[in-house]
Amino acid sequence: MNQQSDSNQTHFGYKTVDKDNKASMVAGVFHSVAAKYDLMNDLLSMGIHRIWKRFTIDCSGVRAGHRVLDLAGGTGDLAAKFSRLVGEKGQVVLADINDSMLKVGRDKLRDKGIVGNVDYVQANAECLPFPDNHFDLITIAFGLRNVTDKDKALASMFRVLKPGGRLLVLEFSKPEIEALSKAYDLYSFHVLPKVGQLVVGDAESYKYLAESIRMHPDQDTLKGMMEEVGFEQVTYHNLTGGIVALHRGFKF
Amino acid sequence: MPMPQLLAGALELALNKVLALDPRSQLRLAALDGKRMRIKLQELPWPLTFAFSSRIDVLMDEEQQVDCEMALSLSLSHINEMQDPANISALIQDKKLSLNGDMHTAQSFSALMKELDIDWEEHLSRYTGDVFAHESVRLLKNLHQRAKGHFQQLGQIIKDGALQEKQLAAHPLAVEDFSQAVNQLRADTARFEARLNQLEQKAKR
Repeated sequence: MNQQSDSNQTHFGYKTVDKDNKASMVAGVFHSVAAKYDLMNDLLSMGIHRIWKRFTIDCSGVRAGHRVLDLAGGTGDLAAKFSRLVGEKGQVVLADINDSMLKVGRDKLRDKGIVGNVDYVQANAECLPFPDNHFDLITIAFGLRNVTDKDKALASMFRVLKPGGRLLVLEFSKPEIEALSKAYDLYSFHVLPKVGQLVVGDAESYKYLAESIRMHPDQDTLKGMMEEVGFEQVTYHNLTGGIVALHRGFKF
Repeated sequence: MPMPQLLAGALELALNKVLALDPRSQLRLAALDGKRMRIKLQELPWPLTFAFSSRIDVLMDEEQQVDCEMALSLSLSHINEMQDPANISALIQDKKLSLNGDMHTAQSFSALMKELDIDWEEHLSRYTGDVFAHESVRLLKNLHQRAKGHFQQLGQIIKDGALQEKQLAAHPLAVEDFSQAVNQLRADTARFEARLNQLEQKAKR
């Protein structure tokens, strides 16, 4: 199990903070960046985040009538596509702990005419307000690293997933090549905060982003954490040299 | 970077942009609502799955269950032949095309793209004004007609030259005549073979 579960302290970027405070500190970050979240994603990833999300959808196996939980769904990139793929008989729940992100996501999807089969729920991933065995698919894209107790969140996801269902975790990870890792560090700690300051007027939030990525478990550790809570056939796929990894696990 | 996803994204963007230019495409798209179609092109290592709703989503996975499944395997060089529905049976017989599933989905998709009616003049006028758009489109149409006429004329000249002056190719009637003669010879040979077999059987008795 993750070491942090045993104490009352956890990481917030490189800082060590009380567990009780992390959620509100993360909320502060996302309240600050919510309005320009999509623009910043495109800018900072040079649009590649769209390819990573597309890969996630291709690995989802989602079909008409499925019930999908897009956890930490942010501004609804995945939910928009899932909404079309599950059709009228299916359901997509866009859940986020942060109400600013949820509002931006809801407005964006409604502006695109995506209504009817999408519900919006403000929820903490550690204690999901859904019945057991409820969803065919759960996705969490770039959200798990912000969760205070990751083991608890994974267990909660396992509980609400139907037998036969799958969890997809898309998250920043550890680059496979040392040279890439160094270039990535340079970009993360020197370019990211500056662009954040320039566009959103908030360098600190993007410093947190870079730090939180480094503190997030690497590919094999996260795989082990998923297996620990009960997921089976857990595999991961490195994207863009391991800068991002997609973990997939099933509940049987 | 996952290349298949990049390709799917580009294709999806292009398809939906083109459909958006034709307001009536939504009516044809409605006939495909909820359907999925998978196309396997010999030239591509990955299959393309098209999911239809109020727009087209292009997916790149083989495990996805496709409700109204239609799997195609064809070479890009046969796409032209496919435009005529009469050729489809021949392509299937020649094993150049394989179809599995709901043929209606393929026909609806074909109609969706084939019946695209884009008013380029209208779309262009938003950026350039009516007069420039009208004149530009008229000029392009004239050029297209002229080019088409020239190509047809050129094709006819080459055909006549090859058939009559240089005698490099046979006239279609001569080919037809030759084919009939070959068929006749094949039938005669088959009859002769059958007769020979009969005589051999008799001789053995």
